[in-house]
Amino acid sequence: MATDFWASSHYTRWIVDRATLKQARADDSAYVPEPEYLDFLTIYFANLITKLGKKLQFRQRVVATATVFFRRFYLKNSYCETDPYLVISACCYVAAKAEESPVHIKNVVTESRSVFGQAPYNVKHFPSDNSKLAEMEFYLVDDLECDLVVFHPYRTLLALCKKDSSMSPGGGNSDMPSQEAEAGELGTGIGAEDGPRFWGTGEGKLELSEVALQTAWFIINDTYRSELCLLYPPHLIAITAIYLTLVLHTPTQNSIAHLLPHSSAFNSDIPIASESPQATPQPRRSSRSSDPSSKQTQQDPISFLADLNVSLSAISTIAQEIISMYSLWNRYKEDPTAEETRNSNMDGPGSGSPASHTSQAGVGQRSGSTPLGNTPGSVGEGGTDDSANQPNNPWPFGQGRVVTAMFLSSMLNSMREARMSDMAHPSSGRPVVVNRMLERTG
Amino acid sequence: MHVDTSPDPMRIYRAKRDASHVYVKSKYNILGFISSGTYGRVYKAEDASGNLHAIKKFKPDKEGDVVTYTGISQSAIREIALNREISHENIVSLKEVILEDKSIYMVFEYAEHDFLQLIHHHSQTLRCPISIPVLKSLIYQLLNGLVYLHSAHILHRDLKPANILITSKGQVKIGDLGLARLSAQPLQPLFAGDKVVVTIWYRAPELLLGAKHYNNSIDCWAVACVLAELASRRPIFKGEEAKLDSKKNLPFQRDQLLKIFEVLGSPNEKDWPSITHLPEYTSLKRLDPYPNRLFDWCQSCLRSQAGYDLLRQLFMYDPDQRLSAREALGHAWFKEDPLPTTNAFASVNSNQIPPHRRITQDDAPSMSMTIPFQPGQSGNAANAPGPPFTQVLSGSSQQAQVQAKSGHSHHTGTSGSLGDVGHGTTKIRKKPRLG
Repeated sequence: MATDFWASSHYTRWIVDRATLKQARADDSAYVPEPEYLDFLTIYFANLITKLGKKLQFRQRVVATATVFFRRFYLKNSYCETDPYLVISACCYVAAKAEESPVHIKNVVTESRSVFGQAPYNVKHFPSDNSKLAEMEFYLVDDLECDLVVFHPYRTLLALCKKDSSMSPGGGNSDMPSQEAEAGELGTGIGAEDGPRFWGTGEGKLELSEVALQTAWFIINDTYRSELCLLYPPHLIAITAIYLTLVLHTPTQNSIAHLLPHSSAFNSDIPIASESPQATPQPRRSSRSSDPSSKQTQQDPISFLADLNVSLSAISTIAQEIISMYSLWNRYKEDPTAEETRNSNMDGPGSGSPASHTSQAGVGQRSGSTPLGNTPGSVGEGGTDDSANQPNNPWPFGQGRVVTAMFLSSMLNSMREARMSDMAHPSSGRPVVVNRMLERTG
Repeated sequence: MHVDTSPDPMRIYRAKRDASHVYVKSKYNILGFISSGTYGRVYKAEDASGNLHAIKKFKPDKEGDVVTYTGISQSAIREIALNREISHENIVSLKEVILEDKSIYMVFEYAEHDFLQLIHHHSQTLRCPISIPVLKSLIYQLLNGLVYLHSAHILHRDLKPANILITSKGQVKIGDLGLARLSAQPLQPLFAGDKVVVTIWYRAPELLLGAKHYNNSIDCWAVACVLAELASRRPIFKGEEAKLDSKKNLPFQRDQLLKIFEVLGSPNEKDWPSITHLPEYTSLKRLDPYPNRLFDWCQSCLRSQAGYDLLRQLFMYDPDQRLSAREALGHAWFKEDPLPTTNAFASVNSNQIPPHRRITQDDAPSMSMTIPFQPGQSGNAANAPGPPFTQVLSGSSQQAQVQAKSGHSHHTGTSGSLGDVGHGTTKIRKKPRLG
């Protein structure tokens, strides 16, 4: 997150189209029983990175950067020709340095062996010496073309929104936004940022309740379980997260319902484009009011979002993508013993369900507070613990077969074995030349 | 290590990658060695079309005698990551990075001169001041590059004459981002990463007084020091660095502060209200008071009221009042005659321009012996003025190098002593061999 996003390596070299994504998985798709499993792998790997990041006590932004590195690496490479676990470790190791929070290589090796070695992953081959990871770091940085500065949606979220001060006096559990917002940074990628509105004064920001802001934050966390970070600039992802919070987070939705005369929050159309400003008689930017009830009526998030100079059709597409990721994630099961585990340990670090959001905010297991958080848990993992908090689940989540991490882990192994065997005995009958000098044992 | 019968899962990947690797030596002809430091070595090289480059090779780490992978240093990651994002005519541009044989090679554009070398040329060879047109053009371009860095939220944190390069066409290029970092949205405070930043002579007073928080203005202080040094051909605040004690506590930099106070006078609470909150405030109060005599200092060197005013505002004690790079660029001094020029040497006779960077044949086996030795370009007297300056110059250019000289000196607290060698003494560095 340096410099100007539009001039950054992120924008100029690492935003790709869907055809490129598809091409990147071409080799892998030959080795999976169904293409859908590749999407599950996308979630599987993101959860693993989060899990390792937790062990290494990473801040959320470091986890996000590591995930972006991982996605970029697999734009150029195949799961079946690499060791994704070693790649994950290297991504975490480099991301920590790139985000100026370095960790010792030995810690990364130790924690990786501990995380990957246990069920459901059961990785036995992870190297125990630092030099293997350091060597992978070289390959990784090379494949990343040395582009190590990554922009994230969190920054846009905090540039556009602030906590509703009248609703949460004293700040409460505010570790997440306040620390990330240090230095009042800008460069959100939105056209209007030259104006006074977004220059760190807090003036003109959309005021959200603390819970709503956290919900948007969690949604952004969750987007790393998809490949959105390769497809869209981060500020669009952030705006989509705000939008989804407004329409799907029940308390927030209720608070703005009177501003939405004819739109249903669950309409798959994006209502913000069609809303006319006249539908909202109140002045858009309210002066600070000490009365919470009057304040609510003065907020007008619809015209706020409509005024942002972004493509609403892109927002719509991203929203749909996030929703389909959630429905997929809902069918994903991290741990075969999850039900017992969840009872004893509500949120094993990064246990990987949407309910166990990986925020650094110290609000780890407030799944009831996020509308999107608890829904998959209630289906995929029998996590009935918090579904009661969420009567208005709008989506038919959980359709289809459950896929477990255990299954994906063994599928990865067989993909690689099949690939190796094909490379050695291709259908042409001629062995592929692999330099024997380069063959090493773990 | 445990026994593993399964084949290396990365075998195919490694084979593919290694097969497509482009080797440094296949792409660049190494002409000679420029300088070295704890980070590694810098070489002069040319590509197939004859363009010159400076290749910075980070030292591979060794365990005993065996070169092994240990992980890329924080400094290298910074320098690589930041250089990939930026592009400006007054910043040394990174052409590419080659990761090979457990070493990192950063290929930069080549710059023939640097500020330190120019200062030496004038103090030792020409024995005359750097002319105001040259001086002003250099500072203008330096500020221009710094405005760009700061607008990209990058703090350089190690501006000094040796790190500021000049091309043979008189264009300033800020080099060495090895200590630079982003100031935007740090996950942890800046001081948590690097306890000590900026070579002592160029270190801003708030840093010397132990400030935990600092910003762009530390680079602006360094610019003022560089401006003064160009004008007088010697460091304006040439203090002795106090070393870390055995417990790695940061010492009070008494001597350096006194050197500053002797010129700028003692700081006070009226001009710099927040000074009372700085950790070393009490130590500061124990020092003798000094009057401000910057005006007198400028009389002999800059001979311009506007020039004095620029220096005065860049030397503001209070970081909040110090001129920003952008404000400095708009200062009246740059609008009065002589105006700054794109080619800083535009007004200089060609025989007054400093000689080319000296290169030598590397004595280490690492990268040197692949190129046929070219007699005219070896490090001896061929392209340098006669003795005794040959030795002094070669000594200074050894350390003056551009991309050379990353963080180590700052971290180890020996930066001052390194600079010493280059500064007007007849000391000769032991390295490299002078033949």
